[in-house]
Amino acid sequence: MTTLTHRRHTSERLNELIASAPRGGACLTDDHRRALAARFRGVGATGHRRLDAWTVEHAGRRSGPFRWNPATTRRGIGNAALRRIASRPGLSTCDAIRDEITDQLLRAVAGYARGGSLASWLASAPPAVIALVSSEAQNWVTQTLEVTDRLDQPWSMAPSDAYYDVATARTTLRGRRDLVIGDGDARVLVRFRAGAPGKSAGPGLRADLIIETLAHPGGVAPSRIIGLWPEAGVSLCVDGTMADLRAGARDLVRTAVVQHRQSALKAA
Amino acid sequence: MCVTGTRKNVAMTTLTPLSPLSVIDALRGDRSSRPAADTTSAAGLRARLEDGIYEILGDESPTSPLVVRASSLRQPSRTTDLSMSALARMRGVLVNQLLRLLCVGFRPDCTFDNALDAWRGDSGADDLLSQLDRLDDEERARLATDVTAHGLALSRALGDVPSRWMPRSALRASQRLGGGRVILRDVIDLMVGTNGCGSATVALFDVTTSPLSEGAERTMRYHALVETLRSSVVPLRTSTFSTATGELWTLDVDHGMLQRSADEVLAVVNDTWSSR
Repeated sequence: MTTLTHRRHTSERLNELIASAPRGGACLTDDHRRALAARFRGVGATGHRRLDAWTVEHAGRRSGPFRWNPATTRRGIGNAALRRIASRPGLSTCDAIRDEITDQLLRAVAGYARGGSLASWLASAPPAVIALVSSEAQNWVTQTLEVTDRLDQPWSMAPSDAYYDVATARTTLRGRRDLVIGDGDARVLVRFRAGAPGKSAGPGLRADLIIETLAHPGGVAPSRIIGLWPEAGVSLCVDGTMADLRAGARDLVRTAVVQHRQSALKAA
Repeated sequence: MCVTGTRKNVAMTTLTPLSPLSVIDALRGDRSSRPAADTTSAAGLRARLEDGIYEILGDESPTSPLVVRASSLRQPSRTTDLSMSALARMRGVLVNQLLRLLCVGFRPDCTFDNALDAWRGDSGADDLLSQLDRLDDEERARLATDVTAHGLALSRALGDVPSRWMPRSALRASQRLGGGRVILRDVIDLMVGTNGCGSATVALFDVTTSPLSEGAERTMRYHALVETLRSSVVPLRTSTFSTATGELWTLDVDHGMLQRSADEVLAVVNDTWSSR
């Protein structure tokens, strides 16, 4: 049986969710990985396939062409600024964000940024838009610090999102993660989400769970993954059980099937 | 011909380069007099709203959820408001963009152009933005002058927003009630303070380019209610500033105010449901 817990988001309840997480998640073996790869290969692909929680939640619907704007930059710049604050205590949020934006701009000026990257977009943006990028990042950083300031357990910013390439299936899986609480096999992950959770928020969290587990060198699932929707004041969580991992994998394969069918219909 | 007696003519309005008390100072108030954070009222308010919605809707399910916004409380739905004209809405959006820029310490060199750049960068394709692009030179110049005047009033009143006060701008919130049959949506123009400490420190700030009226007061209460439901902590105060008149209204949030707002929300739900 899969797990899905729904709570109103308060600091006390978040600490309870972290403290009550089961010790140690399930473990994926090489057989599990091979079986998943075989499933993806069986779906067939016209091009390289990229799947994440968003595509699972939207039933395989492809997103429109990606466009940078202040809202789409907030997570990247905000999390990078939080990593700076974590490594240099005393650094103000404002300075951390400014340093991060300056680094991005320097990368573009030095010629290290490829076309379409955040750095190249920022370099071509008017000063007012860069100020708006700071404003969005400020919102993100403040909302995260509001949560982390009241955590009972030690936490760290996730160094990056989790990526997993499915062998010979031309498929890349991306799992988003923002905070890591605890470490090793008894870790709890937290993801911040915009808006309000929809009916498919649970499958979305399970997709992040399985991708995080696949990307882990030992294949160990986190004890629990918590999705926070600060705008709605709601948190959802799923545990790292084998049933949840299986459900997450099934949803990813199903999404790949739907995407493949849609591509075939479009081509016809 | 001079109709005023000698030495009787004095300036009616005096503008000083700096306001003696900035909006931010007024919002934060006296640190020593802040009450303890109220973390218990939210559940009662939610229950009151849930009960009220059940009384109105019963077991019926609308085909689409009834959405309540701050604008739903501003005026009765059947009245015409000149502030809702396209030009007024453009002005409102541009002044809001300007607020976001000022909050991160941006000093505009050309208020209208900077606010317009920010709007374009923020929203991409937008009906209102394309209407702005279709304005003739005269209308556009009038809008630019208008936005510059409102922007000046805002920047003079706002003062510097220190980053240690955790300013957040254009904060969205949504609350599903009655099993998702009613959704409360809100955007708070500026929030300062954080719910992290034991005392109430969060102040909500709304900017309008219209003169303040009874509707503005309802909107202030609504912001406080939605923030309470969202965070489960009652904010310290809620305020609204008119760039048209330079007036700042500030209310300390208490349980009575939140209950009143809950009743106003239920009245809007009732009106909307009966008009369907």
